[in-house]
Amino acid sequence: MRRLVFALLSVLAFAPAAAKDTGLIFVSNEKTNNIIVIDPKTYKVVKDIKVSHRPRDMHFDADHGTLYIACGDDDVIDILDVATLKIIGKLKTGPSPEAFAMDEKRRRLYVSDEEGSSLAVIDMDRDAIVKEVPTGAEPEGVLVSEDGKTVYVTSEAGDMVHAVDADTGAVTRDVVAGLRPRRLAATPDGKELWATAELSGEVVIIDRARFVVIGNIPFLPPGMRKADVTPVGLTMTKDGKTAYVTLGHAARVAVVDVPARKVLAYILVGKRAWGLTLSRDEKTLYVANGQGDDITIIDTASRKAKISVPVGRVPYGIVVDD
Amino acid sequence: MTKLRSSTLVFSVLFAGAIASAGAQSPSPPPPRQQVKIGFVEIENDARYEPLRAYERIILKSREHPLTGAEVGVDEAAAFARVLPIDFALDRITAKSPADVAPAVLAALEAGTHFFLLDAPADAFKPLAAAIRGRDTLIFNVSEPDDSLRRDLCAPEFVHVYPSRAQLMDGLVQFAVSRKWRDLLVLEGPSPADAAMTTAFAHSAQKFGARIVAHQHFKPGTDPREREQNDPTLLSAINRDFDIAFVADDAFDFARTVPYQLARPRPVMGSIDLEPVAWHWTWERYGAPQVNSRFEKKSGGRHMTGPDWAARLAVKMVVQSALRTRSAGFAKQRAFILGDGSFDGDKGLALSVRRWDHQVRQGILLAAPYEVVAEPPIEGFLHQTNELDTLGDDEPESPCHLDK
Repeated sequence: MRRLVFALLSVLAFAPAAAKDTGLIFVSNEKTNNIIVIDPKTYKVVKDIKVSHRPRDMHFDADHGTLYIACGDDDVIDILDVATLKIIGKLKTGPSPEAFAMDEKRRRLYVSDEEGSSLAVIDMDRDAIVKEVPTGAEPEGVLVSEDGKTVYVTSEAGDMVHAVDADTGAVTRDVVAGLRPRRLAATPDGKELWATAELSGEVVIIDRARFVVIGNIPFLPPGMRKADVTPVGLTMTKDGKTAYVTLGHAARVAVVDVPARKVLAYILVGKRAWGLTLSRDEKTLYVANGQGDDITIIDTASRKAKISVPVGRVPYGIVVDD
Repeated sequence: MTKLRSSTLVFSVLFAGAIASAGAQSPSPPPPRQQVKIGFVEIENDARYEPLRAYERIILKSREHPLTGAEVGVDEAAAFARVLPIDFALDRITAKSPADVAPAVLAALEAGTHFFLLDAPADAFKPLAAAIRGRDTLIFNVSEPDDSLRRDLCAPEFVHVYPSRAQLMDGLVQFAVSRKWRDLLVLEGPSPADAAMTTAFAHSAQKFGARIVAHQHFKPGTDPREREQNDPTLLSAINRDFDIAFVADDAFDFARTVPYQLARPRPVMGSIDLEPVAWHWTWERYGAPQVNSRFEKKSGGRHMTGPDWAARLAVKMVVQSALRTRSAGFAKQRAFILGDGSFDGDKGLALSVRRWDHQVRQGILLAAPYEVVAEPPIEGFLHQTNELDTLGDDEPESPCHLDK
C-alpha cells in the first residue's frame, strides 16, 4: 500500500504541477487535527482536511505539488496532494515530530522529534529513518544549509543550536544561544544564522563560520511585560533586509531591520502567535495565532493587519501556495 | 553513628567521543572530564510524604520524595556533554532523622561534594546551618515552604528553590483580589502547619487589601457535640457574606469535606480546590508539557509535583552555573547562582535568587484539579524592579539581609 503511494508520489513529482500559484492558505490546527484551507481573495474557508493527530510544521516540495505535515501525536508526516487537497500517504517519524526541513536533492527530511531528543533523518522515498542524531532535549527549529551539507537544529531545553554534518549525521558544533532557542533563519549572504530565543525574549545572531554568538536583538513592545514576550516564529525577506518575528504571548509581530539589527515596528496580531509566512511577492504576511484560534493577514507595506480569519483550535503552522 | 544508605547515580557519558569530532579545526586533545557531585539528602519516614488516606485504606494522595525530579535534571544535563567537559552525578543520602542530616552532609562535604538538595522538614535546617556555617557549600531547599527559614534562620549557605508560604499565599490572594473577591472566610485547622499557612494568608490579605470577615478554627471529627467546629455548613453560617472560603488543613482530612457544604455557594481555596503550588501536571505553557512528559516517563507515570520541580531546577542551577561560567569551580558556580544567574523554570519570567534571603523568585501556579487557573504574579500587580518580587518577602519587608 505504502509502496503504491510512493510510486504515485514520484509520478507526481515529475508531472507538471497542477496546483501552482493557487494562493491558497494552509493552516495546521494542533487541537482539531485538521488543515484549514483558505481562499486568498475571499478569506473564506474552502476546505477542512482531516489529518493525523496534532499537525504542526508544514512544508511544500519545490514545485508545490505536495505538502508535508508533521503530526506530533501520531508520529508521522502526512503527505497532502495540493491539487486534489487529499492526503495521499504518510512517513513514519520518531516520537512527537514538531518541526522539519526538506532537502529534495537528497530526498531527505530532517525532523526534530521533540520527545525523542533527536533529529531524525528520513529517506523520503523509502519511508525509513536512516539516522537519528542525538540533540539536546526538545529539539525544534531545523534548517538545511544552501549546499545541503549542514543541518542546523535548536534544542529548546538544552539552550543550544547544533550543527549537524548531513553526510555523517554527527553533531559537529554546538553553541549556547539564549534561553529556549526555537526557530532558525539564515541571512541570504550565508554569513549569519538567526535563532529566536523564547524565554530570553530575543533573536540571537550566530556567525556561521565561527559558530559563536555575535549579537542579539531583544524585543519589548511598549507596555508589555517581559515574561509575555516569547519570540518563536521567524522569517526573512529574500533580499535579507527585513525579518519578521512572532512574539508569542505578546500578540505582536516584530519587524526587524536585518543589517542594522534594529526593531522597526511591532504589529498587533493574536495571542500565542507562532507560525508565520510571507507571500512570494512579500507584500502579505500571514500569522497563525495559537491561542486566538485564528490567523492574521498583514499588509507589509503599511505594517497593518488587514483581517483575522477564524480557523481551528490552536493553529500552529501556516503556508501559502504561491 | 549516622547510618546512611548511599547509592550513586551516574549518567552515562553519551557523547564523550563527540568532543573530538567537535574540534574539526582544533587538533588539541579533548580536556579531561571533571565530575560535579550533587547530594540528594532526604529523611527516612519523613511525615510529609506519608500517604494521605481517606477513612481507612483508600489513598487520596500518595506523596513521593522528589528524587525523580533531580534525576530528570541530571538526564537533561547529558545534552551538554559535548560543550561542557563536566559530568554531573547524584548521590542519594538518606538520613535516619532530622538530627542526622547535619553529620551526613558534613561527611559528604569532606568527601568533596559541595552542592546538596535538601528534602527535609524545617527542624532539620537549624542544626545543619550551624554545622556548615562558612563552609564551601550550597544547600538547595527543595520541599520546605516554612517562612522562618527565610526570615529568622537566614543562613547564607541555603538557597530556597521551593517557594515560601509567603510567596504561595501572596499568589493566591493576588488572584482573589484581581477577581474582586475581597471578603474572605478563614477556616483554620489544628496543626502548626495550618497555623503557619493561616498566618501567611492573613498577611497576604493585608498586603493586597482583602478583608478576613471571619476566622474560624475547625476541629476534624464527627462528634455531634462539637458540630459547631466540625461541620463546614455551621462554620460558614455567619452573618457577614464572604466571597471565598480559605481552608488551611495540612492533614487534608477536613478540607475535602468543605466544597459544596458551605452555608453559601462560594468557591474554596487553600488546601483544596484552588491550591497555590510550585508546579502542576496540567501546566501547559513555556515548555511545561515536555517537562511533565519527561518526568512521567522517568517516574513510571507519576504526576510531577512542586518538590519535583524544585529538585529539577536545583540541579539545573548547578548545571547552568558550570555551563555559563565554563567551570566546575565551586566559588565561580556559587557566585553565578547567587549573582547574575537567571534560570528557565518553565514558568515564564526568568528565575533568579533574591540576594537578601536566597529565596528563588518565581511565578506561582494556582491549580484547580485539572487546570492551572492563573499564574501569579497577576498582571497589574506592579513592582519597581521585578514583578516576581510582588510575591513573598521583598527586600524592605524581609528581616534577612544576607547581602549586607
